[in-house]
Amino acid sequence: MKLNIEGLLVYFPYDYIYPEQYSYMLELKRTLDAKGHGVLEMPSGTGKTISLLSLIVAYQKAYPLEVTKLIYCSRTVPEIEKVVEELRKLMDFYTKETGEKNNFLALALSSRKNLCIHPEVSSLRFGKEVDGKCHSLTASYIRAERHSNPSQPVCRFYEEFDAVGRQVPIPPGIYNLDDLKEFGRRRGWCPYYLARYAILHANIVVYSYHYLLDPKIADLVSKELAKKSVVVFDEAHNIDNVCIDSMSVNITRRTLDRCQANVDTLQTTIRRIKETDAAKLQEEYRRLVEGLKETSAARETDIYMSNPILPDEVLQEAVPGNIRTAEHFVGFLKRFLEYLKARLRVHHVVQESSPQFLKDIFEKVCIDRKPLRFCAERLRSLLRTLEIADIADFSAITLISNFATLVSTYSKGKRAAPYSDSTTSNNVKSSNYILFQPVFERFQSVVITSGTLSPLDIYPRILDFHPVTMASFTMTLARTCLCPLIVGRGNDQVAMSSKFETREDFAVIRNYGNLLLELSAVVPDGIVAFFTSYVYMENIVASWYEQGILENIQRNKLIFIETQDAAETSVALEKYQEACENGRGAILLSVARGKVSEGIDFVHHFGRAVIMFGVPYVYTQSRILKARLEYLRDQYQIRENDFLTFDAMRHAAQCVGRAIRGKTDYGLMIFADKRYARADKRGKLPRWIQEHITDGSLNLTIDETMQLAKHFLRQMAQPFRREDQLGLSLLTLEQLQSEDMLQKISQIAQQA
Amino acid sequence: MHIQYEVLLVVKKVRQRKQDGTLYLMTERIAWGPEGKDRFTVSHLYADIRCQKISPEGKAKIQLQLVLHTGESTTFHFANESTAMKDRDAAKDLLQQLLPKFKKKANKELEEKNRMLQEDPVLFQLYKDLVVSQVISAEEFWANRLKLSSTDHFSSNNNKQEVGISAAFLADIRPQTDGCNGLRYNLTTDIIESIFRTYPAVKQKYAENVPHNLTEKDFWTRFFQSHYFHRDRINTGLQDLFSECAKQDEKGLKSMVVQGVKNPMVDLLSLEDKTLDEGYGSLTGPSTSNSSKTVKENSNSAIIKRFNHHSAMVLAAGLRKMDTSSDQASETSSTDGNSRDSDTFQPPIKKVKLQEAIEYEDFQNETGPKTIALKLKKFDRYSHGPVPLQSHHYSTSQDIISSVSCIQEEMSCYKPCLTQVMSSSAASSAITALSPGGALMQTGAHQTVSQLVPVDIQSELKHLYTAAGELLRHFWSCFPVNTPFLEEKVVKMQSNLERFQSTKLHPFQGKIQREYLSSNLISHLEEMIQAAYNKFHAWQMRRMMKKT
Repeated sequence: MKLNIEGLLVYFPYDYIYPEQYSYMLELKRTLDAKGHGVLEMPSGTGKTISLLSLIVAYQKAYPLEVTKLIYCSRTVPEIEKVVEELRKLMDFYTKETGEKNNFLALALSSRKNLCIHPEVSSLRFGKEVDGKCHSLTASYIRAERHSNPSQPVCRFYEEFDAVGRQVPIPPGIYNLDDLKEFGRRRGWCPYYLARYAILHANIVVYSYHYLLDPKIADLVSKELAKKSVVVFDEAHNIDNVCIDSMSVNITRRTLDRCQANVDTLQTTIRRIKETDAAKLQEEYRRLVEGLKETSAARETDIYMSNPILPDEVLQEAVPGNIRTAEHFVGFLKRFLEYLKARLRVHHVVQESSPQFLKDIFEKVCIDRKPLRFCAERLRSLLRTLEIADIADFSAITLISNFATLVSTYSKGKRAAPYSDSTTSNNVKSSNYILFQPVFERFQSVVITSGTLSPLDIYPRILDFHPVTMASFTMTLARTCLCPLIVGRGNDQVAMSSKFETREDFAVIRNYGNLLLELSAVVPDGIVAFFTSYVYMENIVASWYEQGILENIQRNKLIFIETQDAAETSVALEKYQEACENGRGAILLSVARGKVSEGIDFVHHFGRAVIMFGVPYVYTQSRILKARLEYLRDQYQIRENDFLTFDAMRHAAQCVGRAIRGKTDYGLMIFADKRYARADKRGKLPRWIQEHITDGSLNLTIDETMQLAKHFLRQMAQPFRREDQLGLSLLTLEQLQSEDMLQKISQIAQQA
Repeated sequence: MHIQYEVLLVVKKVRQRKQDGTLYLMTERIAWGPEGKDRFTVSHLYADIRCQKISPEGKAKIQLQLVLHTGESTTFHFANESTAMKDRDAAKDLLQQLLPKFKKKANKELEEKNRMLQEDPVLFQLYKDLVVSQVISAEEFWANRLKLSSTDHFSSNNNKQEVGISAAFLADIRPQTDGCNGLRYNLTTDIIESIFRTYPAVKQKYAENVPHNLTEKDFWTRFFQSHYFHRDRINTGLQDLFSECAKQDEKGLKSMVVQGVKNPMVDLLSLEDKTLDEGYGSLTGPSTSNSSKTVKENSNSAIIKRFNHHSAMVLAAGLRKMDTSSDQASETSSTDGNSRDSDTFQPPIKKVKLQEAIEYEDFQNETGPKTIALKLKKFDRYSHGPVPLQSHHYSTSQDIISSVSCIQEEMSCYKPCLTQVMSSSAASSAITALSPGGALMQTGAHQTVSQLVPVDIQSELKHLYTAAGELLRHFWSCFPVNTPFLEEKVVKMQSNLERFQSTKLHPFQGKIQREYLSSNLISHLEEMIQAAYNKFHAWQMRRMMKKT
């Protein structure tokens, strides 16, 4: 159907539309009009992606000069592929309706592991190996060496691409990962480099967050993306953690040992090269004196995104003299390494900020701040000069030099917390959100969206930006297909809670077990249960086994349990789905914040009930967390408790939301903890869940829960046809255009 | 009547239909005669008897029932109070020995044939047309029917659903204390079956050790004592009988993990687009190195592993049967060359899953039933149908081009010769003749047979078609003739066809001529038969040539 969104013609590839999708598009349009940033929350399964794509593509077609590019960032590989498939559907619809040939270029970008077509390299299992092998075949000096020595193996796909690929633009179309591979195979070009090159002129790019947020990759991939782009972060509820992860460094004794080995190799290589090919080192030295001119030339135009790791000053200045020659630099690294080793020997916890750290390092080993900042860049240059193919071997030293640059660059808003404990692990951790800032500054509009972003106002605060629109949309429902229940007591009236004081309590564990047992008798097909942490789940499973609860559950359903091993869990997950599929029914025990809770959907019969055992607080005794909380309090005036509750509730909502993936879906959501009943917890759940929690379902016993669950499931099992939905939660074009419907739609969005 | 048979057993005081009498068991038959008369009112050949039934123990009346193949049954009541039971048992035992001898296979087949004829009216008609009218012999008729049906039958039998295994079968073996410091486990054959099916390793152990090394009871005692049975085991002792089983389980688990998952949407390994390098990222929680893991933690994770394994095994045991059959199906399809083509028609699992994931049920206009992708061996065969090779004049593209240019040339120098045109009346009559319903367009406005022909003729025609079809099927199935048996058969079939033509077709032709119907009703039939004759003659000619 064709929609009129405040004067913009939007093609929507279906004959029906949800009211909230219309509302969502309205808000999105306003965000784009204002050239500002937006935070939008809409329940999963209400067609967020297609609404986003429809509107932004329409906008791009209508105002090609205002918005030149859409950068769609998602979290997992399947998500990325799903987005591209939806886009393909939309584009097919465009071609069908307008009759014009599609002139859009849209593509997905992923790591080498997912894109490589080289027969040997692509057969490797781990991403790191693929990267390393690829590098050893395509590095510039390797290719140069081939001129003199034709037996040197290189990647023919890359050679082919390098020879002709850049001149011939990739024809317009929608390229998913598999399409890129197919195209690459046909032409004999490397799909990975082709995609990386093609994103510069593509209209739509779909890739993972990391390509934009992680400075270590963003520098390579996303450096030259134009300012007039719209950036969308889908499933963005965890975006702050992604930022922190990519800026955090862990240094253990093992790392330092490997580092030592790296330094030794560097030294010997330098000595060897000096004897054979001194000119090469001279050349490098000259280049460093001139400074990193080329890089700074690109920066000057300012339409490119800055690389936080490579601060502006670094570009303007030449590399400091004391690390310019290779030997000096290696000596410098050695000193730094020794200093870190000394720090690790300390057995008590030390927490300090960057300036403190820098002062200390200056006093102890006379290392200045300035050369530290150039450390990463200098190392990269050295590795290039020394022609070291296998970068993976030097990961330890790269890590250390990155750490040096990070710690010396971001003195503001950054907290380094080096500490060591008896297990000889040392964490240096920087908790800053500075990463996000360049993204907000460089791009015209950034849209953050997810199914669970509540409470909305906290994201702008922790990410430090000012959105023009913030809205949360509810789900219009013809039948209440979700049934959130808060179970607070067992049948023996003992309060159920995963609170630290009572979590090991025998009665609590037994009551949790009884809840699961009784549910397994009532709920058809699949049940997913989430625990607050892995250790807690292990303990509970063990005591359920001893008490015979698990055996009784097995009478009703098969049991599968998430393990810490991803491969094992994948197998368990597949078996779980198989068991749901063939009608046996199964229970999956899983962990909030785990991989399953983040990436796997349990549509329809794969998840008819979700149980959240306890409130998934983070481990509050962790020093890293403490540092982060302190930082939040000092910088953004967010109280520790507020943040902790917010964090726990978003994960709970995330877990529980896995069960509902659309309006035809239905599921029970069981919050098994007394504390959920409190207003401060409940109020932080997303609106679309909150509005279905009635006062009658606040502090239930297990028996009461079973009554309500039975009633709910019986109702939901009735046939549900389109006619039931039409006009209420599903609209045709005519229905959409009627006055009072528009009136109603305007109420769907709640401005925060 | 048939007193000449040897009498094997005589039982007196046996009532049948409230009448006292004597039961005789003879070499080939069982007979019963009322008291005081010297003829049998009941007499059955053993061959006719399907089975015997006896009344349950403890019932007041002691009876023996004979069920015949026809479905009828006869009940004998042994009324001799003191020895009734002994009499009945004697009769039963003797029958038990005798009946199998007479249970000929032919009986079963006859039954089967009977059943088939009753169930399938078309077949019955065919049978009447061909066998009863003695066009072909009964054996010939059944020769390939039964083979077909027997495989049918077999597969339908095989499709019977396998009963799955309860996930909690181990929980059902609830140990009970026997009061003196011991435990009693209750095992039923069902549970043993479940254990064997879920854990083939245990079955193997059982086969190896019972009864040579251990008694069954010892085996199970050891099973329950061994750590293998207990999920929180960490390592089983070497001397344990089941340590090998544990190892095999471990191996199975590993191979499952190595195999990975088929559905890319649940593959957690490839979920992340980019893994943080080692050393980056924040560690959550205290780091746990292997050495610091306590025994308790180890056993906990062992429990979890074992539960996953157990569930997977139970699931697999339920599915194993289905898997094998589907595997076979796929294998057979691949052997005849389908596999290569099928790739293009069946999108890989990833694509299907992706499409599924982006589908909105309520947006789709019509969600028809899911269709199965068509697997085609030869695509052009499907779209054009078989094309007869002979009697086809191929025109090459050169021919076509030259003829087109020829026509073009003619057209270019075409001049209408207005003096030599047809008269208008002739032209209009030609047009009427060529319009629908006109003289030349008769065949175009075809009236269907159902409108032209009376119903009884129609049905007769249908029968003839099926009968002819059957015969021709037999005929054509002989080709290529490469065994002496087939040679013989093809000659016989040819004569059968001739007989069919003379006894069935010609009378029918006469009949329709009498009723003034168009004789081309059976022209097609005749054509078909003629084609068979042609083939036969051609084959005969060739054979003669070879011989000379």
